[in-house]
Amino acid sequence: MKSVSWANKETIEQIRSLLLVFVTIFIVLNACACISIESASGEMHTAVQERTSSATKEQKNLLDNIYKAPYPGDYKLVTIEEGKNLEEVWQARGGVGKAGGVLNVSSFGSGPKTFNCWAASDDQSAGIASLMYESLLDVDPWTAKSYPRLARSFSVSHDHKDYTFTLRKGLLWSDGYPITADDVVYTFGTLIAKGFGNSSARDILTVYGHYPTVEKIDDLTVRFHTEIPFAPFLSSLRMAIAPKHILEPITNKLIAQNKIGEFNNFWDINCNPETIVASGPFKLHRYVPGQRIELVPNPHYSMVDKLGHRLPYLSKFVNLIVPDQNTQLLKFYAGDVDLLDVRTVRGSDAALVKQREAADHFKMYNLGPADGTIFLMFNLCRRKNPKTGKFYVDPIKQKWFNNSYFRQAVTHAVDRKRMVDNILRGVGYELFTAETQASVYFNKQLQPFPRDIEFAKKLLEQGGFHLKDNVLYDSEGNKIEFTLYTNAGNSTRDAVCIIIQNDLKELGIKVNYQPVDFNILVDKASNSLDWEGMVMGLTGSRLEPYDGANVWKANGRLHMFDQRLAINGDKIVVSDARDWEKEIDNCFDKGATTFDLAKRHQYFDRFQQIAYDQQSFIYLFTNLDLSAVRNHIGNYMPTPLGIGSSPRGSMHNIEEIFINDSASEALKK
Amino acid sequence: MSLPVYILRRALQALPLLLVISIMGFIMMRLAPIDPLAYLKANPAISQETIKAEEERLGLNKPPVVQYVLWLGNLLKGDLGISTSGGSVSSLLLQRAGNTLLLSVSTVIFTWLIAIPAGVYAAVYRNTIIDRLLSIFTAIGMSMPTFLLALLLLMLATKTHILPIGGLTSQDFFERNYIGKCFDIIAHLIIPVTVLTLIGLAAIQRQMRASLLDVLQADYVRTARAKGLMENSVIYIHALKTAINPLITLFGFEFADLLSGAALTETVLAYPGLGRLTLEAVQSKDMNLVMASLMLGAIMLITGNLLADILLRFADPRITLE
Amino acid sequence: MVTALQTIEKAEVLKTGAFALISKKLWLSKPAYISAIVLTILYLSAGFADFLAPYSMNFADPDLANAPPSKIHLMIDKGYISGPFVYRMERLFDVDTYKQVYSEKKYARLPVKLFTKGEVYRLFGFIPSDLHLFGVDVPGRIFLLGSDINGRDNFSRLLFGAQKSLTIGFLGLLIMFPVGILYGGIAGFCGGLVDNIMMRVAEAIMSIPGFYLLIALAAILPAGMNSTERFALITVILSFIGWAGLARVIRGMVLTIKQQEFVEAARAVGQSEWKNMIRHVLPQTTSFVIVAATLQVPNFILSESGLSFIGLGIQQPDASWGNMLKAALDNANDLYNQPWLLAPGLLIFLTILCFNTLGDVCRDILDPKSSTV
Repeated sequence: MKSVSWANKETIEQIRSLLLVFVTIFIVLNACACISIESASGEMHTAVQERTSSATKEQKNLLDNIYKAPYPGDYKLVTIEEGKNLEEVWQARGGVGKAGGVLNVSSFGSGPKTFNCWAASDDQSAGIASLMYESLLDVDPWTAKSYPRLARSFSVSHDHKDYTFTLRKGLLWSDGYPITADDVVYTFGTLIAKGFGNSSARDILTVYGHYPTVEKIDDLTVRFHTEIPFAPFLSSLRMAIAPKHILEPITNKLIAQNKIGEFNNFWDINCNPETIVASGPFKLHRYVPGQRIELVPNPHYSMVDKLGHRLPYLSKFVNLIVPDQNTQLLKFYAGDVDLLDVRTVRGSDAALVKQREAADHFKMYNLGPADGTIFLMFNLCRRKNPKTGKFYVDPIKQKWFNNSYFRQAVTHAVDRKRMVDNILRGVGYELFTAETQASVYFNKQLQPFPRDIEFAKKLLEQGGFHLKDNVLYDSEGNKIEFTLYTNAGNSTRDAVCIIIQNDLKELGIKVNYQPVDFNILVDKASNSLDWEGMVMGLTGSRLEPYDGANVWKANGRLHMFDQRLAINGDKIVVSDARDWEKEIDNCFDKGATTFDLAKRHQYFDRFQQIAYDQQSFIYLFTNLDLSAVRNHIGNYMPTPLGIGSSPRGSMHNIEEIFINDSASEALKK
Repeated sequence: MSLPVYILRRALQALPLLLVISIMGFIMMRLAPIDPLAYLKANPAISQETIKAEEERLGLNKPPVVQYVLWLGNLLKGDLGISTSGGSVSSLLLQRAGNTLLLSVSTVIFTWLIAIPAGVYAAVYRNTIIDRLLSIFTAIGMSMPTFLLALLLLMLATKTHILPIGGLTSQDFFERNYIGKCFDIIAHLIIPVTVLTLIGLAAIQRQMRASLLDVLQADYVRTARAKGLMENSVIYIHALKTAINPLITLFGFEFADLLSGAALTETVLAYPGLGRLTLEAVQSKDMNLVMASLMLGAIMLITGNLLADILLRFADPRITLE
Repeated sequence: MVTALQTIEKAEVLKTGAFALISKKLWLSKPAYISAIVLTILYLSAGFADFLAPYSMNFADPDLANAPPSKIHLMIDKGYISGPFVYRMERLFDVDTYKQVYSEKKYARLPVKLFTKGEVYRLFGFIPSDLHLFGVDVPGRIFLLGSDINGRDNFSRLLFGAQKSLTIGFLGLLIMFPVGILYGGIAGFCGGLVDNIMMRVAEAIMSIPGFYLLIALAAILPAGMNSTERFALITVILSFIGWAGLARVIRGMVLTIKQQEFVEAARAVGQSEWKNMIRHVLPQTTSFVIVAATLQVPNFILSESGLSFIGLGIQQPDASWGNMLKAALDNANDLYNQPWLLAPGLLIFLTILCFNTLGDVCRDILDPKSSTV
């Protein structure tokens, strides 16, 4: 407690009272500043500017404005001879740039959790890893087709069980050690197979309980074999190859000590950055926790430009770590960073950024709908808690939530357009389907619909509900009322819930909105199951809908609308799947084992149709991916499919990106 | 009692205190329906096994008492455990505590450098225009929430683009020479230090003014004047020496206030300090990190108080350390 | 502290009583007078929020989200002033610039009416009414300070937010002071081992930086509370931060007081220790308590707004000044163009300024010579 007395009260008192008066007047004036006086002559009853564009038109216009980078053609394999060494390298597809220069970017959050590519479980760690490591193959950001990366070529056997990869000649790790088939076999046969680091990688590769085998054919050739043909398998091989010569001694030791978990402590954020061995365009140079990451070119990166200069062009890649998107914007305005990537420019910021485009010498790119979704869901669980013998969800409410008329009514009553208009300030998309428009598997047949409160009321009537004095009752006379949870402290989710609350009030449904901590929210959804309604978000995949299996299959770990729990921490057994849940399971299973693209599309279209009919997730909206890049950054060619984890983000061709000095010189003048 | 013995005794007294704090902190964090791994669990790409392994790694699957004993044991070994955000807590704290210390110390220096002369001036030239202006200034300073002032300065900085916003270093920091680096850090410190100084200034200036006025009216000062000593030497040597004593106790408080008060400022201004780290840790329920920063905060506070007591003794030899 | 007490004893406090003295002298000081008036206005506005606000706290016009303050027009025509009136606002979206603009539909003037009928409410929770101080007819809206992300009126929410932000200070006092005084009183009165243990616990609490303790406590609030429960628990948490310091001071005072003659005398007459403490010892601390309390209220208000500002205090959809100021932080990169978002911050500042002024004057009255607490 600190406080100080006035020694000469009399005089200071006067000043103080003046101050108080001043502040009061200031605040009053502030409140009244909005009053304007007009003269009669200036007053005109002008015709109303009627809103010409309807909701769908605005959405369509946003879609029409998506930036389309011209297709640069395929990579070409060229051979470099240096003395006796023969090296096969890819020739970059973009224009010839200028070597040297620093690229400053930023990402928000607390920074990466690890530099160990195989232990990464968060977006930023994965983003840094994607700058440092190459995989056997990658997906072309224009055509969505797989093409070889570390490999020079690959082939798939006729029965879709064998995948043969031939590595390029003369590949080197950043420490000069050769990259060979041994590294590939070690990565898939030991590191991932034994569950080192983030064992999710093993799950992704495991096909119906069978982990694929990998064998070395010769120094540069490996073959994978799966028990069952599995369509997503090829794209799941896009995993970073690990340097066996560095990691094997460590993993061997850990296996001997039976401490596999401690692998996560290797190459963690406290390690010496110079010790990290990379295969990608960059290697780690410096890390200042919570502040910045600096990467420098990997001298042995095997890609050249059209004139034969070795890439990457940049002499340094600096990633500033800032706490939030606002700071990223401020840093961009101040000229501290050269690029604002997708997920940084939120809908509500878009207009402001756009406004500065010409004066601040940058260009904004509209990359179309994002892959993340925001949705409302109801707890459809009909089971009892085995420990307490009580229902997880009140049996009365269970009936409402499981009544598909109820969910249909809700989906027609929530005002997606207003959500986009208010929360994203018009810069976003209304969402009706499980796959967003960003996905190559998006089902175009499913029509968006406008809010229709009368139709919703009719649906409720058909579902056995009735409205009396603006309160909705079920057939047994219970008032319809539920608690809606979302995570606290998130302005977007807050606003979504408040709009839902107001919209459903018109149906006579009372929504008790309750923000809770994110931790608690997740615990409710995945463990304690004591919730009724919830607003959540999930990230999606643009290329592979099967990645959603965890969410959509009845035994999935994130099958949140009716989460089945693992018994004794083991496998999740499903005993009460609904017919449509079974059909979705079937779509995913078939979709996973079908290689014919048209047929795959059919299965995943069907899955989206069921999700659309059942409204188990009531999808609300998705963001627009926007990026802004200064004019002196050369070769920036973003595509909607080429968006990865921050800080790499939309710079899928990071090795080709260069700093155009002449442009920045001109800018200074 | 000699100084080293005194410090040792105080340190020994602090130990049970720290133990109580750690138990309280642990109980608090356990009371929370915590799940530090919620973000992992909500990620469709993460397997159940990864989550289990992470639980094992963080020791979350053990009963609370065992967790506490393990934590305490590790603490005594100097191991603060690992953070859910990766990396060891001690290196995380070390980095951030250094930044916060830099911010706090520069704030303390500026506050006192400005507040003491301003207070003396106001007391000597009481009721002049400057005194009145200062009094308005301090009234504002004492009533201004840090986050509001930080927001206002942030607004100003975005409009003018003169000062850098957020962080502690520019993107080209490591390319600069030694002097360039210093200037860069100073430039980044200006806004946060200004916020904290403006707010801390008020209390000290007013205290200084009041305390000096008290002394100037005391008998012995009158005697000194009567003896014909020069006015300046009376004020600056005799009166000031006495008047500054009550301020030294404020010093301990200020140290504590800075730790707490800086957290919001750090958050608004995106300064990579301890306060922001703690706030993020609390929000993500990062057990080890919260415990460690609670302890570190307490240690800094206890040290601040100890420092104040020692300074007080140097300022006034009549006070004995006991 | 002890010296301060002795000064007080010499003063008139004992003769007239602390409260009487304050009520007599407070009004002589101009800043205190003005502060009191400003605070009265603020508290009355909070109390009559339902009447003063044109809309209820949760009223939302989703078509007018993030709107700037409504323009109130006055028209001067042939020497007569007509108005004030507003126009219905309309939102337009430009796909190329991603910009939403609000423009006025200038075909219908909607006069601003005084004492108009609007949403139904219950004043003080029991007087039903639908009278509002001012308002405009639908489809017009009057948003004096613009609207928030959900199209809710910032001005109305500021008034309803005041109900929470302003009362939390006094509710906090009601918890913190009895606890602090009793704890300190008991420790001081019992002395010995009890005193020792009690003081170590208090010191432990005091040794955790206040803000850290605050956020750690706020983070453990259980989920699933309604807004009233949350409000109550936040108050409890806020009081938890300050009581230890208060207890320590009270203990020191009690230690001195209990050695004084009249306490000894009461003991000699055979009064029980407890009665003695309640009747004779604790009342001696009144002056200090009054001053400390006035200076503690702004601390509570500040802590609440800080906590809500970072999302750990009062939460949506409830309004408090702190969580309304969060909108300013969310829009930090465009604050310059939306200065009205800072209004809650200015109100926090004004309130604290007034309380600080009152506190200072109270102390000057009760304790003219004290310098440090």
